[in-house]
Amino acid sequence: MNHFPWLTIIVLFPISAGLVIPFFTFYRKQNYSMVYFRYYNWISFINFHWRLGIDGFSIGLILLTGFITTLATLAAWPVTRNPRLFYFLMLAMYSGQIGLFASQDILLFFFMWELELLPVYLLLAMWGGKRRLYAATKFILYTAAGSLFILIGGLIMAFYNSNESTFDFQLLINKTYPLELEIIVYLSFLIAYAVKLPIIPFHTWLPDTHGEAHYTYGLIRINMELLPHAHSFFAPWLVILGAIQIVYAALTSLSQRNLKRRIAYSSVSHMGFVLIGIGSITNLGLNGAILQMISHGLIGASLFFLAGISYDRTRTLVLDQMGGIGTSMPKIFTLFSSCSMASLALPGMSGFIAELMIFLGVIDNPNYSFLFKIIIIIIQGIGIILTPIYLLSMLRQMFYGYKFSNTLTPYLMDAGPREIFILICLFFPIISIGIYPNFVLSIWNSKVNFLLSNNFF
Amino acid sequence: MFLNIAMLLSFHFFWQQITGSSIHRYLWSWVLYKNLVLEIGYLLDPLTSIMLVLVTTVAVMVMIYSDSYMFYDEGYINFFFCYLSLFTASMLGLVLSPNLIQVYIFWELVGMCSYLLIGFWFTRPSAANACQKAFVTNRIGDFGLLLGPIAKSAQFPLHIWLPDAMEGPTPISALIHAATMVAAGIFLIARMFPLFQMLPFVMSIISWTGAITALLGATIALAQKDLKKVLAYSTMSQLGYMMLALGIGSYKAGLFHLITHAYSKALLFLGSGSVIHSMEPIVGYHPNKSQNMIFMGGLRQYMPITAITFLFGTLSLCGIPPFACFWSKDEILVNSWVHFPILGSIAFFTAGLTAFYMFRIYFLTFEGDFRGHFFDDVKKLSSISIWGSLEFNKEQFKLDKKFTLYPKEANNIMLFPLIILTIPTVFIGFIGVLFDENTINVDFLSYWLTLSINSFNYSNSEKVLEFLFNAIPSIIIAFFGILIAFYLYGPNLFSLKKENKKLPFQSKIDVILKSFSTSIYNWSYYRAYIDGFLFFFFIKGLRFLIKIVSFIDRWIIDGIINGIGIFSFFGGESLKYIEGGRISSYLFFIIFCMFFVFFI
Repeated sequence: MNHFPWLTIIVLFPISAGLVIPFFTFYRKQNYSMVYFRYYNWISFINFHWRLGIDGFSIGLILLTGFITTLATLAAWPVTRNPRLFYFLMLAMYSGQIGLFASQDILLFFFMWELELLPVYLLLAMWGGKRRLYAATKFILYTAAGSLFILIGGLIMAFYNSNESTFDFQLLINKTYPLELEIIVYLSFLIAYAVKLPIIPFHTWLPDTHGEAHYTYGLIRINMELLPHAHSFFAPWLVILGAIQIVYAALTSLSQRNLKRRIAYSSVSHMGFVLIGIGSITNLGLNGAILQMISHGLIGASLFFLAGISYDRTRTLVLDQMGGIGTSMPKIFTLFSSCSMASLALPGMSGFIAELMIFLGVIDNPNYSFLFKIIIIIIQGIGIILTPIYLLSMLRQMFYGYKFSNTLTPYLMDAGPREIFILICLFFPIISIGIYPNFVLSIWNSKVNFLLSNNFF
Repeated sequence: MFLNIAMLLSFHFFWQQITGSSIHRYLWSWVLYKNLVLEIGYLLDPLTSIMLVLVTTVAVMVMIYSDSYMFYDEGYINFFFCYLSLFTASMLGLVLSPNLIQVYIFWELVGMCSYLLIGFWFTRPSAANACQKAFVTNRIGDFGLLLGPIAKSAQFPLHIWLPDAMEGPTPISALIHAATMVAAGIFLIARMFPLFQMLPFVMSIISWTGAITALLGATIALAQKDLKKVLAYSTMSQLGYMMLALGIGSYKAGLFHLITHAYSKALLFLGSGSVIHSMEPIVGYHPNKSQNMIFMGGLRQYMPITAITFLFGTLSLCGIPPFACFWSKDEILVNSWVHFPILGSIAFFTAGLTAFYMFRIYFLTFEGDFRGHFFDDVKKLSSISIWGSLEFNKEQFKLDKKFTLYPKEANNIMLFPLIILTIPTVFIGFIGVLFDENTINVDFLSYWLTLSINSFNYSNSEKVLEFLFNAIPSIIIAFFGILIAFYLYGPNLFSLKKENKKLPFQSKIDVILKSFSTSIYNWSYYRAYIDGFLFFFFIKGLRFLIKIVSFIDRWIIDGIINGIGIFSFFGGESLKYIEGGRISSYLFFIIFCMFFVFFI
């Protein structure tokens, strides 16, 4: 029996290649216009093109996806049950996600959206936790219902007011619609993203699946770019929704007894910042929102991974049953603390920069009244106070204290080199973005400027 | 040690400032936008340079000290020094920062280091609670310019974290919670002083907060049993003084007190650390035992150097003339009296209390007979060392049974910082007083602090004699406090031999005192009831809110979704039964519908 994980290596290869390629193509032509690399006429009957392209918004997320999927493959090294299928599904999910971020055609966007759901469903249903079937069913029903709205919205946009249908984003930008129709389309897209994001009333699938969600991309891509009027109409509501979501999810997270559910709710709470950033139609806020998506992708991934690691050792996810494991695994303790610190937006880490920019973005916006800004900032402030409460009490319940019982000791070994490598890989960009954000911000800054100046000012 | 270099560098800057060079300001851009420029850089002015010297000297002393103090935590010593260096670095960053955003960044970092260091002995549940409390309270304070200093400097409504922070190792208490981090709030107010001065309302809020905190801290400190907690409340009270001084506009006095207090209190904490260190093998490793002043007493015979340095610190804090805090505190007292008599009287009363509780600790700890051995039975219960290694204690116990241990003087590495810190404690007061080299009769510190604030023209033309004359009431009240402390806690009362021969009038006074002292004791024990109140309001309120929200999330939002799912499921099931394939039922349905349509 050969223990060397050939399969992992083989799987790793295309993923890391996917990580590198966008860099080359992007730096060839670094301006706000699109970089196309694939263009096929797929179904010419309805003008459906296979059109992929990368611009400032998507490159960050594509890189992030590649990065996290690479590390996730590494993290999934110990998966022994049916590994071939597992890695196949993982790659399928990865290609779905990249296709989603790179698609330049609304029908292709929908197609990728659906393509990505299926592997996630199967992964959940086959390798999930205890209630995996419940979670998977919930996930697929939720998101499938959500994606219906994308199709509706996309078709309306494609067929409105023109003889021949078009799905191309670039052409759709130039179209104009009456405000009422735009609002309807906007709402239908919003519902779809609200499910995936997850925005408040549609968030309950996430704690069950412990999934990662950074699909606010669509909100910027379609809702802001294609439907600017409706967006400026809805922006204050997005801000309010985001503010409520921050506090609400933080409170819910506090009440959770389960480690993973607590982290999941914390990521729901962090997504509220993205909403606020998008809702504040300013340069700063939008930049901050994209940065927050990326930084939260990194932080959330590392927190989930850490939760998985500690679950491997303690065999429990209930916080009350843990405690005092800090003495036996100091490395995990250190890493967990530092990731929590990153999550609660400690300066010097990426979360802080993103949240600060979103704060300033809201203040910057000239359209909102002073009172509105004050209220939003106070609510955000309450959220920021609640974040350390739930994260630190989680840490306290897990690691602090002292345990005399000998029942747990056999499992409690410290993190191995593989785990530490993964976490350091995740942690390095968090720190480096936090220390010098200009480097990352410059990738999409010009695009943001272009978008805002074209559509909103 | 880089910090040594930093210290030398800061002395260099300090000297430059003294010789009157201009204010340095270097900036480089960090996050750049069209409309917003976030810059990081550093700003050097007199205020900064004082703080630099303060932070670096205390930090170096504490590092030397903790090398010996943290001897038992071998495996974790790297973490400890790592955190400590990070703390010092971020504190220096805070002091040097030229804009508010950078202040905020380092402010948070300092808070995080404090969190990590308080929770350093993370196996103690009380430490775990304390560090979380400290972090959250500081986080609350991050909003608003005024709230921040109040939280960080442990002012009245947000002071609750500071006494709990004493769960950390003692060198940490000395560095962070006495000398540097708590001073950050004062520093920030001093930095923003020209702004606050425009707003008289804010200034009065600051001064009243300071006064209330000073009084509250002093009263709570009166009857605490724990050595470090008394020092913590005393720190709180002294920070209240500084706040008061800034609030009434005497910028110089506040900062002067900040410096003198930092040195004295660092000395006191390190001394108490030495005491705790020597008590630990005897009474046990639990903070309730080793820091409990009931078990101490008579330590002067066993550890003379610690006792003398501690006495210097105590005298300084009480405001006895040649020592450092006298000069600064007296200035605050006089200025507050001039500014507003009620504030002044609070300040004077607090000065008396300070003298009382400081000498209470001194007498209880160092004078009288050693009381550690009367509590033999307690020892065995508390034999778990903090890292859970029992072997060390067992050896100790074997020794213990053969011949009774007495506390030993700490080793030289620990004594060295104590002695070094004694020097500024004694002498630093003089920099605030008149210097003959300046031909104008302006004292030295205020002379170059005025450079930094141009708008604020502080003319201090007090003569030395006048100054001393003003000082008389404060000295009197300090001595009064010391006398009461001596009467109540002095060597005579606690040496158990004299217990029986009480003087007749003493019992009468005792009766009167008893009712008074119990109320004081309760006040102090329950921490002036504020903790309970805040606990009730915030924690309970928060828990209630959480319950509501999670109920909503669980049953209403998720319930609706699941309800839809179940409904559709049942709908499907019932449809399945309807389409059962029986033609007769279809026929019946069709006929029924036809009749229905027909009738309409």
